[in-house]
Amino acid sequence: MNPIFSGGPIYNAIVSSIASGVPENTIILLLLLPIVATVIAATRQIIGIRGFGIFLPAALSITFVAIGPILGILLFTAIVIISTIVRIITRKLKLKLQYLPRMALILWFVSLGILGILFASPYIKYGPLLNVSIFPVLVLTLLVEDFTKIQLGKSFKTAISLTGQTLVLALISYIFLTYQPFQAFVLANPEITLTTTFVINIILGKYLGLRFMEYIRFRKLIKS
Amino acid sequence: MKTSSILGLNSRRALFTGRYNTRKAKNIANSKIQTAKVLKNNNVPTPQIIHKFKKYEDINSFDWNSLPDKFAIKPSRGLGGDGIIVVKKKIENGKFLTTSREEKTLEDFKLQIIDILEGAYSMNSEPDVAFIQEYVGRHTAFRKLSFRGTPDIRIIVFNKIPVMAMLRLPTKESGGRANLHQGALGLGIDLATGITTKAIQYNRPIIFKPNTNKKLNGIKIPFWNIILETAVKAQIVSGLGYAGVDIVMHPDKGPMVIELNAQPGLSIQLANMEGLKKRLERVDELAVINVDHGIKIAKSLFASKFVDRVKYREDTPVVKAVEEVLLKDIKGNWHKFLAKIDTGAWSSAIDITLAKKLGLLRKNKIITSRKKLSSLGEEERPVIEVNLKLSGKRFKTNVTVADRKLLRYSVLIGRTDLQGFLISPEIDKVNLVKSKWA
Repeated sequence: MNPIFSGGPIYNAIVSSIASGVPENTIILLLLLPIVATVIAATRQIIGIRGFGIFLPAALSITFVAIGPILGILLFTAIVIISTIVRIITRKLKLKLQYLPRMALILWFVSLGILGILFASPYIKYGPLLNVSIFPVLVLTLLVEDFTKIQLGKSFKTAISLTGQTLVLALISYIFLTYQPFQAFVLANPEITLTTTFVINIILGKYLGLRFMEYIRFRKLIKS
Repeated sequence: MKTSSILGLNSRRALFTGRYNTRKAKNIANSKIQTAKVLKNNNVPTPQIIHKFKKYEDINSFDWNSLPDKFAIKPSRGLGGDGIIVVKKKIENGKFLTTSREEKTLEDFKLQIIDILEGAYSMNSEPDVAFIQEYVGRHTAFRKLSFRGTPDIRIIVFNKIPVMAMLRLPTKESGGRANLHQGALGLGIDLATGITTKAIQYNRPIIFKPNTNKKLNGIKIPFWNIILETAVKAQIVSGLGYAGVDIVMHPDKGPMVIELNAQPGLSIQLANMEGLKKRLERVDELAVINVDHGIKIAKSLFASKFVDRVKYREDTPVVKAVEEVLLKDIKGNWHKFLAKIDTGAWSSAIDITLAKKLGLLRKNKIITSRKKLSSLGEEERPVIEVNLKLSGKRFKTNVTVADRKLLRYSVLIGRTDLQGFLISPEIDKVNLVKSKWA
C-alpha cells in the first residue's frame, strides 16, 4: 500500500531497516501493539468490559496470532478446566494445602495436561498443534494463576465472567492484529497511526462519562 | 434522572478518589490493622484486635488456649471480605462453630493464617498480616432482618459531610456476608432520619425481604446520629477526602467502624435511587467547620421527601412535672386531664371515679390486681389497660386504679411509662395547675 504522506521519517526508517534485514513481522507487531493496547483501553473505559488488566489480553491476542485463535481458545479452556478440576479435587479430598504449593500443584497438572495434548497431536492430526511453541503456552499458563486466584477468592461466576471478558478483549485485539489491509495501512502510515492512537489515549484518559455497561447497570436510575 | 447525576467508575477516579485520596491515606484504608490503629489513637470506636500474626513463628508463640469463644480471623489487606472466618461458638472436643455453621478446629485456623501470611487473599498475592479480632455480632434491631452474619452500614463521607448511606443485610445467598456482589441486600437510608427507603439485591430493586413478607423500607436504624458522627470522625482521621466508612452495631458497645474504603462501590446509588455525583458536586469545596456542621449540612441537603411526614424529633421529648395527658375512653374518644409526673412511683395510677366515668373499670377490663402498701394500710388495687398520649407519644400501658379523690391530680404517671422522656422539674402554674378544690 502506498503511504498517504510519502517520505515520513518513521516510514523511511522502516523501509531502510527492512531492506537491511529486520524482520517485517516484528516491525508490524511493534506498530500494532500500541493500537491493540488502545483498543483494550477503549473497550474498558468506554464499553466497560472488565478483564485481567491490559497486559494479559494483549499477550493473549499475540498468542492467538502465533498459534491461531481456535487452538488458543481450546488450549486456554483446557487449562481452565484442568485447574478447576484440580481445585475441586484438592477441596474434596480435604488436602488442606498451603497457598503456594497449591498453586504449584495446579501448574504441575496444567503442564502435564498440555504435554498430554502435545503427545496426542500425532493421532489428532490437527496441523497447528504441531507448531505450538513454549511462549504461547507459557502465557496461557500465566493466565491460570490469575484465574485460580479469583476463583479461590471470589465466586466461580465472577472468575468465569472475568475470564470470558478477557477472552473477548483478546479476540477483538486479535482481529486488529491479523486483518491484512489494516496491517498494510499501519506499515505504510506509521506516523498517522501512532499519532492517532496517542491522541485517542489522551481523549480516553479525559473521558469522565458513564461507560456503556454502566448505562445498563444504572438504567433504572436513569429512567427514574 | 440525568446521567450526569450518576457517578461512574471514570468520574469516581478522576474527580474524587484520585483527587482527594492521598497515597498515605489509601495505605491506611487498605490495611485493616493500620485502620484500627489510626481509629484507636483518635478515639473512634473500632472492634478490638486481640492478636496479630506477622510471621509464621507468631502462630506457634500465640497461646491458642487464650482464644475467646467468639472471634474473627481476618487478613489485613483482604479484598471484598475474602479470607475471613467468623467464629461464634466453642463446641465440644476443641472445635469451633463459624457463623456459616461450619465446624473448624485450631488446625484449620492455623492453616488459614498461613494462607493469609502467604498472600492468598491480598492484592497481587503480596505477603500479608493476619489478625484475630473481637466478635461483633448482631444488634437486636437487625436480628430478624439478616441471615447469620453481621449487617453493616456503608456511609460515603466526602469533605466531612455524609453524602449517602446504605444498610447491607447478609442473606442466605451471600453466605452470611454483607457483600452486595454475593447477594446481600442493600437498603438505601434517608440521611436525615436513618430510616430505610428502598432496597436492592443483585442490583435489582426489591420491596420485601426474599421469601418473606417483611418490608424493607421504613426500618429505623438505632443511634443514627452517633453512626453519622462516627463515620465523619473516621473519614477525618483517616485522611481520605472521599471515603466509604463501614459501620457495624455492637449489641452492647454501639456503632463501631469495621473498615474504611478508599474506592467505595457505586451500587449504593441503586439502593438509594439517587445519583452520587450530583450530591458530591453540591458539597464540593464547602467549608465545613466540624463534625456536627457536616452532619447538619447532610441532613438539610439530603433529606428524603417523606421526612416531614415522619414524626421526627431531633431531641428527646420533655415533660414538665405536671403535664397534660390524653386518655381514651371506652367509646374511643380522647379526654384531656392533668397528670402528675412522679419518678418516685413505679407504675402509673388513675383515680377510681375517673376510671369508672371513662368506662374503663369493668370486671372484664381488670387485668390483675396489685397489693399495695399505702398510708391507708394494705389494700388490693385493680390494674387496667389504658391508651394514653403524653407529649405527642401514644402508648398503651397498665395502670393501677386507686382512690385519689383527696389528691390533687386524678392521674399519675410513674417510671415505667416515662422511658424516653426528659423530665423538667418546673410546673407551668398559669396554664396547667388548678386545684381540685378551687
